[in-house]
Amino acid sequence: MIRSLAIAAVLVFAAPAYAQSADNRLTLTFETGAETGAVLVALYDSEAAYEGGQPTRVAQVDVAAGQREAVFDLPAGTYGMKAVHDVNGNGKMDVNPFGMPSEPFAFSNNAVGNMGPAKWDRARFEVAGATAQTIRIR
Amino acid sequence: MTPTRRTLFMGAAALAAARVLTPDRAYAAQAMAASADWALATADVEGDVAPRALTLVHGRAPAGLAGSLYRNGPAKFRRPGGASQHWFDGDGLIRRWRVEDGQATLAARFADTPKRRQEAEVGAMLMPGFGTIADPRARIGSADDASPANTSVHKVGGKLWALWEAGSPLAMDPETLATEAFVTLRPDLKNMPFLAHPRIEPDGRIWNLGVGGKQAMVWRLAADGTLEDAELVPLPRASYIHDFSATARHLVIVLQPWVHARNVMPMSAAFAWTPEAGTQVLVIEKADLTKRRIYDLPPFGFFHVGDAWEEADGTIRFDLCAHKDMDFAARGAHEVLNGVPLGHDPAELAMVVLEPNGRGRLERTGVVGEFPRSDPRRAGLARRFSLHTTGERADRPLASAVAVTDWRSGRTRSFDFGPGHVTDEMVYVPKPGSVHEADAWLVGPTINLKAGVSELHVLDLMHVEDGPVATWRADVALPAAFHGNWV
Repeated sequence: MIRSLAIAAVLVFAAPAYAQSADNRLTLTFETGAETGAVLVALYDSEAAYEGGQPTRVAQVDVAAGQREAVFDLPAGTYGMKAVHDVNGNGKMDVNPFGMPSEPFAFSNNAVGNMGPAKWDRARFEVAGATAQTIRIR
Repeated sequence: MTPTRRTLFMGAAALAAARVLTPDRAYAAQAMAASADWALATADVEGDVAPRALTLVHGRAPAGLAGSLYRNGPAKFRRPGGASQHWFDGDGLIRRWRVEDGQATLAARFADTPKRRQEAEVGAMLMPGFGTIADPRARIGSADDASPANTSVHKVGGKLWALWEAGSPLAMDPETLATEAFVTLRPDLKNMPFLAHPRIEPDGRIWNLGVGGKQAMVWRLAADGTLEDAELVPLPRASYIHDFSATARHLVIVLQPWVHARNVMPMSAAFAWTPEAGTQVLVIEKADLTKRRIYDLPPFGFFHVGDAWEEADGTIRFDLCAHKDMDFAARGAHEVLNGVPLGHDPAELAMVVLEPNGRGRLERTGVVGEFPRSDPRRAGLARRFSLHTTGERADRPLASAVAVTDWRSGRTRSFDFGPGHVTDEMVYVPKPGSVHEADAWLVGPTINLKAGVSELHVLDLMHVEDGPVATWRADVALPAAFHGNWV
């Protein structure tokens, strides 16, 4: 699922995030463990989308160029975020020979799963007005 | 993880008694007897143990004995909101027994793992393990998040590596015992497993496996911990592999008929005992991992093997502690944690012989034995001696004795500390300047149950039956540990 998210993010990220309402601006700041590559971000607006559908927004944070933030102007509502740090810049989340992720990943609320991706109930958060989260991805 | 030892438990008398008592009455009676005896072996330690001097209570420090015995084993199993369900799942406590200038000291610190931090914060044991299922509150993004780092400890380069078997090595400072970070040997191999029983060649090169179902990563590291090679090899079956062996030229992987059969937790419930499949031994050439042979042996279970060697005619030999089955792993180690052995045969020391003609056999000794160790200078080479624990019984789940088996004479000599002690694995320490295999000490701790403290003992390999030449006593009791090394 993480892999599909990463691919989706890469495919769609060319579509610019467009302003919905500057009154509901979400700012995600990523604290990375490496200074290379990019953080691929996918934002979901429902549990169904988060657990297996399409993201409502995607973004790419060019870590190598010094970027650390992704900013979204959104309708107020409930969201969940998945991110992967593509450290080596090959456009995907790498896995080790046993299929486990070998590049850092993170979820909104800095949620961690229980032997799998963090579920919606741990990752969901409200966007209402200016909203910010700092995400540790290392 | 670990485990070891096992065993033990089942004397004929206890068994006979259990047959006439109802199971719950027998259970309760054994629980009372057991908790009165060796509960210190699986007791909780509440915090790090600051460095402290030990008191010499017997003999004298052998001239020339200087170094540190680093050992690792679980020492925290219970928190108010929930407890580990299996002996192998407690938090690793790294102990350093140091002998220097005739004096001995002890220090110990817990591996400061993500597991331990989360569990301390919540006040409950949360993480899944060998025999424990995950608490719904656990936050687990990788196997390392669940690692108790509790199985062994090696000095690699300038660091200690606390080892588990399903995750990465955990680097620690050998002086302060402070935890540093999980070791990633190469970025693309992050989060790959690394067994707690690497095989170390006499020049320091490290071979190890990381096991995942019917595949194993073969790790080859320089003595300083630098990765030299990592290559996946297929396995003929998804056996539980805690330990493996090696000759100078081969990796020797014993595949017991305790095989992954279902995707359930805990891990111990995912394996099935299939004796009809027998036990296999996979021999792989170190120089070309595609060159392999498979030998068939009768069924037995095991945790631990000794260093292997190859004779001039190509015959491969290694010692191994054979269990009748793996019931101890599946059930017994739950019981040990609660002081309630229900009856398990102890392991028997045996020699595996793999002939060049493709035939293999298991030569049993009739000697109870676990935790085999030998001369690290002869790892992979012909040798004469195995050190091991002995004396485990059905009604005494942990060893009280240590032994030296001489494979040339077939004789085993032992020293029993008595029912008032639980013995740990002891390691082989060469005497300074010696080259002969017999010129060595056994060094290792026991728990003195009556005094309620841990002790460190030194025995002479050639006079092991005479008991310790030196014993130091601590002012604290540390629970039984699994494995360690003399540095």
